[in-house]
Amino acid sequence: MHGIGFGLVTASIIALASVAFSLQFSVTTTPNFAHGELLTVGAYGALVGQLLTHNIVVEIAAAMLSGAVVASLLNFAILQPFLRVGAKRLTIFLVTVAVGLIIQNLLLIAFGGAPSAYLLPAFELHAVGPFLWTSLDEAIMAATLLALLLLHGMLRYTKFGKSLRAVSDNPQLARVTGINTPRVVQLTWALDGLIAGFAGFVLAAYIGSITPTVGFTFLVVIFAASVIGGLGRPYGTLVGALLIGLAMEVSASYIPASYKTSVAFGLLIVTLLFRPSGIFATQIWKFSE
Amino acid sequence: MIDYLVSITTLAVIFAIVALALNVRWGWAGEFDFFVYGLVAVGAYVYAVVTLPPAPKDDPGFIYMLGLSQPFPVGVLAAMSVTGLISLVVGAIALRHLRQVFFGITTFSSVLILTAVISQETRLFNGYNGVFGVAQPFNDILQLPYHQYNLFFLGLCLVVLIVVYLLLERIFWSPFGLVLRAIREDEVAAAAFGKSPYTARLKAYVLGGLISGLAGSLLVSYLTAWNTDAWAPQETVLIFACIIIGGTANSRGAILGSFVVFGLILEGTRFLPPIPGHPDAPSAIRAIAIALVMLVFLRWRPQGLLPERHLIDADPSSTSRLDGIRNLIRRPLRRS
Repeated sequence: MHGIGFGLVTASIIALASVAFSLQFSVTTTPNFAHGELLTVGAYGALVGQLLTHNIVVEIAAAMLSGAVVASLLNFAILQPFLRVGAKRLTIFLVTVAVGLIIQNLLLIAFGGAPSAYLLPAFELHAVGPFLWTSLDEAIMAATLLALLLLHGMLRYTKFGKSLRAVSDNPQLARVTGINTPRVVQLTWALDGLIAGFAGFVLAAYIGSITPTVGFTFLVVIFAASVIGGLGRPYGTLVGALLIGLAMEVSASYIPASYKTSVAFGLLIVTLLFRPSGIFATQIWKFSE
Repeated sequence: MIDYLVSITTLAVIFAIVALALNVRWGWAGEFDFFVYGLVAVGAYVYAVVTLPPAPKDDPGFIYMLGLSQPFPVGVLAAMSVTGLISLVVGAIALRHLRQVFFGITTFSSVLILTAVISQETRLFNGYNGVFGVAQPFNDILQLPYHQYNLFFLGLCLVVLIVVYLLLERIFWSPFGLVLRAIREDEVAAAAFGKSPYTARLKAYVLGGLISGLAGSLLVSYLTAWNTDAWAPQETVLIFACIIIGGTANSRGAILGSFVVFGLILEGTRFLPPIPGHPDAPSAIRAIAIALVMLVFLRWRPQGLLPERHLIDADPSSTSRLDGIRNLIRRPLRRS
């Protein structure tokens, strides 16, 4: 039962990180191997905010802004020049691998390899029904719900949200109907960075410390949630995140906890082999150039 | 200075063999494979436990399986058989449906699972602490002093590299090599010519696995110790960098790329002055330098220093370059 309680908290963090990944993928069809680094950047943004002000609002804003700036730069300064010369999707993927390595090592130079403590004010323990949660856990779940509701509202009811969905559906058709596709792509990257930065803050607050590889080690879990939900389907990704989060924490009651992430990878591989387009897919989706 | 040069040359030669293994998978067959370095690690572990004496009974901090005290050739054969077998199993499952980025994600996750299992199951290869005290190949017979032995080992690695290179060159220009590249260019067209893409890919995958096991044996003989820290996923990026800089699908390119990456970039940045208060800076700067060079090549010279070689129509009146599936048509051809 405790496993389920922890699982819901883990699922919240995974959901935030992988919805951002899935949203960006749905618009650009480029998987971003540097997505974990966006989380790390957000976490360090929050850390710098804490060192300067000790104000949680500033810390969250710093996390989101740093994520958004790095994601926008990644698209604008690095990926777009490659796309302009017609780079293949696999090349773009390798480019994001290289960029992730660069960001990771820049952070290593700036903050050192030792974990930096990131602690929020003390938490109380609550028993909610059968679950045992700290006030931080509850805040994480509430913030995730709020962020996802806001995202849902934006996708559904704003003009930008509608153009985003149009571009992800059919970029050519969207362009013909007068949607400024490059602008939508650029804004999607910024939005991706905002959410990923926030996820980085949440992850750092949950673990209590930050290392330059904190986001990278989380990356395959993000991949797993996104692929299980159907890559590029933000709503399916939520279910994927829930499944992965629960599977990871519940399995920890039965097998050594260090196999937690292996459980996520195992689920990922099984999904890729039997339902490569996710559990909600209606047809086999071919990933071809 | 000589010792230093011998040492980095040996490392570059061993990594050239790893790069050749990845080149078969990534360059020839077009598989986005992250598993190669995991296989190098498995090869290293298997070689170590086959050549090491049985684990000491009284030391609970140093346990590993087997411990057969076998000589170098037996260790290499064992390592290659295990990595070949793992490649066969992983390839047979993953190559069936998965392509491109999905293949990359799957193989990447598989390596992480492998790391978790090897770290946890201490009875296999001593968990996190890994194996150490691996003997220097043939030195029990030769009894060479330190400096001369290092030269001998460099020679041994060079001989292995040359043998692997010559073998791969033969395969590259063989009908099988042509089929493989035809499949990489257009799977459907190759299948229409009656070639099974799955079988050809699987063969290439196992070939890459065998070479990785060989390279792993040499690497652990050189380092004399091996643990999970030695094969972080980032190392695979290093090997991709070797191939992209040297030239994708060109064996000479992969070798050249390894020497560029290890000789110039990794060792060139070693002489940077240390930055006070930032002990991690030198290694971080090395990684950034490699990633940047890789980006520059991907953007401005994606074919690498030595581009892929093609068969060219030997008839002087014709200027057409025969690529991909058209290579399958029997005509008088010469190599570019």
